[in-house]
Amino acid sequence: MIDLSLDFLLSVIAILFIVLCGFMMYIFYQRQSEVRFKKSRDIYLKDYSQLWYEYLFNNEIFSVVLIPRGKPQVQAIEMIFSSYLKNITNDDMRWKMKNFSNQYLKTFYENDLMNKRWSIRMNALYRIADLQLDELLDACKKLETTKYSKEEFFQLLKIYSLFQPELFIQKIKVPNANYSESEYRRLFVLLEEDTFMRFFDEFTSWSMSIQFAVIDTAAAKKNMKYIEKLEQLLTNENDEIKIRALKGLFEIGVIENINPYIPFVTSHLWEVRLMVGKIFKYVPLSYSYPYLEQLLQDENWWVRSQAAKTIAEDRDGLEKLKEFISYSTDHYAVEMAQETIMRKQGTR
Amino acid sequence: MNEVIFAKDIMLEQDVKKYFEIMLESAIRSHMTITTIFLKCVHSTSSEVNHSNVNTQITDFLTENIRKTDLLFQLADGEHWGIIFLQSSDVEANAFLKRIFHLLKKDSTLESRVALKASITEIRNNQINFEILVEKNKALLADNNQQQWWIEQIEDYRLQSIELVKVSIIEQNAIFRKVLETTLNSMDIANFTFDVTAYEDGYSFLQSNTYQSGHLHLIIMNDILPRNNGLEILHSLRTMPNEKRFLIYMMSERNSEIAALNAYEGGVDEFIVKPFNLRLLEAKIKRTFARYWL
Repeated sequence: MIDLSLDFLLSVIAILFIVLCGFMMYIFYQRQSEVRFKKSRDIYLKDYSQLWYEYLFNNEIFSVVLIPRGKPQVQAIEMIFSSYLKNITNDDMRWKMKNFSNQYLKTFYENDLMNKRWSIRMNALYRIADLQLDELLDACKKLETTKYSKEEFFQLLKIYSLFQPELFIQKIKVPNANYSESEYRRLFVLLEEDTFMRFFDEFTSWSMSIQFAVIDTAAAKKNMKYIEKLEQLLTNENDEIKIRALKGLFEIGVIENINPYIPFVTSHLWEVRLMVGKIFKYVPLSYSYPYLEQLLQDENWWVRSQAAKTIAEDRDGLEKLKEFISYSTDHYAVEMAQETIMRKQGTR
Repeated sequence: MNEVIFAKDIMLEQDVKKYFEIMLESAIRSHMTITTIFLKCVHSTSSEVNHSNVNTQITDFLTENIRKTDLLFQLADGEHWGIIFLQSSDVEANAFLKRIFHLLKKDSTLESRVALKASITEIRNNQINFEILVEKNKALLADNNQQQWWIEQIEDYRLQSIELVKVSIIEQNAIFRKVLETTLNSMDIANFTFDVTAYEDGYSFLQSNTYQSGHLHLIIMNDILPRNNGLEILHSLRTMPNEKRFLIYMMSERNSEIAALNAYEGGVDEFIVKPFNLRLLEAKIKRTFARYWL
């Protein structure tokens, strides 16, 4: 049996008690700081939210009381700005926020960029992009000389794309990390028109993820300027590129010339034939009917279904389908036409 | 003594009087404008003119030229005709008068000395009754020195009463909620006044019972909300009796056609994708209320 003296036990208890008290005091202090921080932030929000509204939207004169004094007030301003940016579009508001941030928040975020904690650095990078703090571009570049995470580099790319598109293209060419298509899309959607167009010009030099992201971003932007670029990609050797380009053209929804699409009616890939069936929705039925009739007799159910749907969407579509039923010997196609007619008449 | 002659098949003053107040109240409740025209012959006292013929001819002419929704009647003195235009403003009334005056001037079948003058009253409030309407218009057309084809206008009843509109903002973000509240409170819309209340979630709005009042109710809400989301509120409101009094604007972060389609099919009046311009929201609201009165 271990023999412990009473003195020793009391000493251990006393030490543990002191440690516990110290720990309790630390927790108490931290809690108090947090409460003070929150209180100070909430007071700023309560007192100055209306002043911010007046300054940003009603052209009131800027008041010096809005200048932050300490971290809690910076956080309050962050909350106001992010709420506005998330909900309101207004060029004048953005310009005022940018100027204010460059003048009064710059130092706070510059310090945050050098912080040891990853979350603080990330928050600063997010704010630099959101508030368009272009004066911190050099500080951001300096961050690259330190050890940074993949997420931080992604935010840096976002910042470069906003403030220095040339540098963005350089950096993305030699990626320090591979990003997913959706991440690239998030970057490309912010790009100015001219910079984004450059991705089409040097299309083959990009990685597959970037190529896919470029096509999908063009589709999401629904800008007619990209029609020509996407049509050029229809001759690409990669089938996935072709399918995505067709999908992009369908999303934009303007077809000026049917000829580039005709060869795809006989494509060996059913996905391509399906997309063409969808795209023909934007072409008058008098031009597209012969090809849609061909697709209606396709071996693939999805293609047949889409072709019938596209025909039925036209004003004379139901008549065309009824006519087709009367002379066609393709049972599958006739069945699809009948189903589509029933569905269409049922929704009227 | 001149005998008062009325054309056959025309409503008379005493008949119209019974219906006028019902028409007026119903029109105001539906935010519609009523406009009346009173017409009088300029040379009807001339001995060379056959009063009986003139009366019949003018009545027939007016009957042929009014719309099915307009009500033609003759006053008890036999010298005035009245027309009530439902859902029409003075613009339509002026256009009507110009058209019939033009036709009358070139109509060779009417007695050559016949010419008319008219008065227009645009009505958008219920501070008038039929007696006053008749009295004022008769007084306006009483001056024998008025020229042929003269048109007078009574403007005393064209201003509608100020109507209270309940406004509910349902938005989770406190800062943006306050922005919307300030914006809506500072909006100046002619003839309407806003009573703005803000809620942070759907449940507190549904518990408030403000939507059960009979007022016109503008609701600006997010599609995604804690405790009863926007689509649930939309469904609750649109299944209520007299649901047409709700003007529902739905805000959403989802910039997708499907989301907008679902919202419109569910019964929203406007679907607004965030972020949006506050001035655009104001303009949309102003347009919505401008449509309330012709």
